[in-house]
Amino acid sequence: MERLDFEEGEVLRVGAESVIKAVRWRGLELVRKHRIPKKYRRPEIDERIRRSRTIHEAKTIVTLSENGVPVPLLIFLDIAGSSIYMQRIVGVEMRDYLVDGVDFSGAAYELGRITGLTHSLKISHGDLTLSNILVAENGKMWLIDFGLSLFNATLEDLAVDLHLLGRSLESTHPSLHRRFMEMFMSGYSEVAGSAQLSKIMEKVAEIRRRGRYVVRAGT
Amino acid sequence: MPRLLALGIESTAHTFGVGVVDSDGRILSDVKKTYIPERGGIHPREAAQSHARNAVNAVREALADAGVKIEDIDLIAFSQGPGMGPCLRTGATVARTLSLSLGKPLVGVNHAVAHVEVGKLVTGCRDPLILYVAGGNTLITCLVERRYRVLGETLDIAAGNCLDHFGIMAGIGPMPSAERLAQSGREVRPLPYKVKGMDVSFSGLLTAAEKLLRDGAPLEDVCLSITETVYSMLTEVVERALAYTGKNSLLVVGGLARSRRLSEMLGSMCSDRGVSMYVVPPDLAGDNGPMIAWTGILQYLNGQTLTVEESVVKPRMRIDEVEVGWRG
Ligand SMILES: Nc1ncnc2c1ncn2[C@@H]1O[C@H](COP(=O)(O)OP(=O)(O)OP(=O)(O)O)[C@@H](O)[C@H]1O
Ligand SMILES: [Mg+2]
Repeated sequence: MERLDFEEGEVLRVGAESVIKAVRWRGLELVRKHRIPKKYRRPEIDERIRRSRTIHEAKTIVTLSENGVPVPLLIFLDIAGSSIYMQRIVGVEMRDYLVDGVDFSGAAYELGRITGLTHSLKISHGDLTLSNILVAENGKMWLIDFGLSLFNATLEDLAVDLHLLGRSLESTHPSLHRRFMEMFMSGYSEVAGSAQLSKIMEKVAEIRRRGRYVVRAGT
Repeated sequence: MPRLLALGIESTAHTFGVGVVDSDGRILSDVKKTYIPERGGIHPREAAQSHARNAVNAVREALADAGVKIEDIDLIAFSQGPGMGPCLRTGATVARTLSLSLGKPLVGVNHAVAHVEVGKLVTGCRDPLILYVAGGNTLITCLVERRYRVLGETLDIAAGNCLDHFGIMAGIGPMPSAERLAQSGREVRPLPYKVKGMDVSFSGLLTAAEKLLRDGAPLEDVCLSITETVYSMLTEVVERALAYTGKNSLLVVGGLARSRRLSEMLGSMCSDRGVSMYVVPPDLAGDNGPMIAWTGILQYLNGQTLTVEESVVKPRMRIDEVEVGWRG
């Protein structure tokens, strides 16, 4: 194989698990997502987690691209270096896009549609928070960050996506939460159908009732 | 403003706690009576009976330790939830009786908010991200628009509960046994590591750890594997929440704040991110009366008192039900 002559540029973002760097390759603008070792974790645990998430993220990106879900194109997977090279999206994170006064109804609807599409492939995102959705200048929306995604996702896995999105809104944009989720759900049901939407919302409600204060009685 | 004195009653689970705190944030007394089950985990009704037996003495001791008379108390605060119904009702009954007989206002306090507020009081940190980890709760929260918003939590059982339950099942008893034995563990075995967004799930891990033990893995190794995995998951979701919110300080509260290893991991992550970490001191980490008294003062000054009719306990009370009218 010919050597890959990536030209590494500046650090764009330091996420919770990874460092995102700008990369150029043959005139293409890419990013390298490098899952860096975490000192706090034992190496046995750390290496296993980083490796499996890197591989997993690459697989999911490829499957979603092939099925028309807007995700960055995968360019190169470097398992030993726990890195993914992918298309660079120029845009802002949804969390920063949702400033006071912005009309978010189109974005919320579109996010509902692409989430519905992802779910119809039985894939859950696993970390559907506002920092993992990018909005480009032309309004186009992209999903990123698939290290926690699941294939053959159960109803529960899919419901967790909606639960996470809802809570992410509630925690940082409490005043937008309701309207946003309404628009999201209409986009979602357009793709997935209203029967699927009500099934999933029932599960979301169940998840929210659970885990609140649980003490198991003794053995 | 004249100095106020609050008596706080905590009774959500094992501990019946009574504390006296003043409005300058001085903790004048901290009495704890802990129910220890003869075997196995907590039995809510037995715990409640034990609390009822201890209540009068605990109140007396708390007043005596603080050097104040019952007439000097300006308000009575109690933990209203979340917690075990029978235990909560015992505390609430004592609080109502005192409030009515003394003619002093009654304040219902959210147990989780109280852990956070006493942590802020004694560490002096401002506007932190908060990790509340205990036997019955696992929560990542921060103050946004006058409420503690939940960023992450457990999808099934609490972190402390997972480790306690494992210890009881393995015959070594609840925490800190598992962490102590982990120190002589040699090999970390792979266990399910379930992080979803900023949420965690521990029940699959608990089942897998129990199975490892049954299949003959050395107890110390299983203790090492379960504690390392649980703490790694917690540290990871806290890091996610720090990245998400952009906060530059972390406050750790709740019973597991006593864990040396968890603090070490969180500390390592925080120093790599340039975040300052504050950990509530051990004597105020577990459930205690002073945290209820202090939060009672904050709420009282904010006009949040209860009539007797409003003082029903809320076993599933959410942290974001409480309006926070005081400073971040
Ligand atoms: N392909 C991309 N093009 C442009 N920006 C990107 C791309 N991928 C990631 N980013 C930016 O980097 C940030 C972190 O990326 P990502 O979410 O994949 O990493 P992470 O470490 O898993 O993040 P976290 O755990 O904090 O959510 C994103 O929120 C986004 O701003
Ligand atoms: Mg991300």
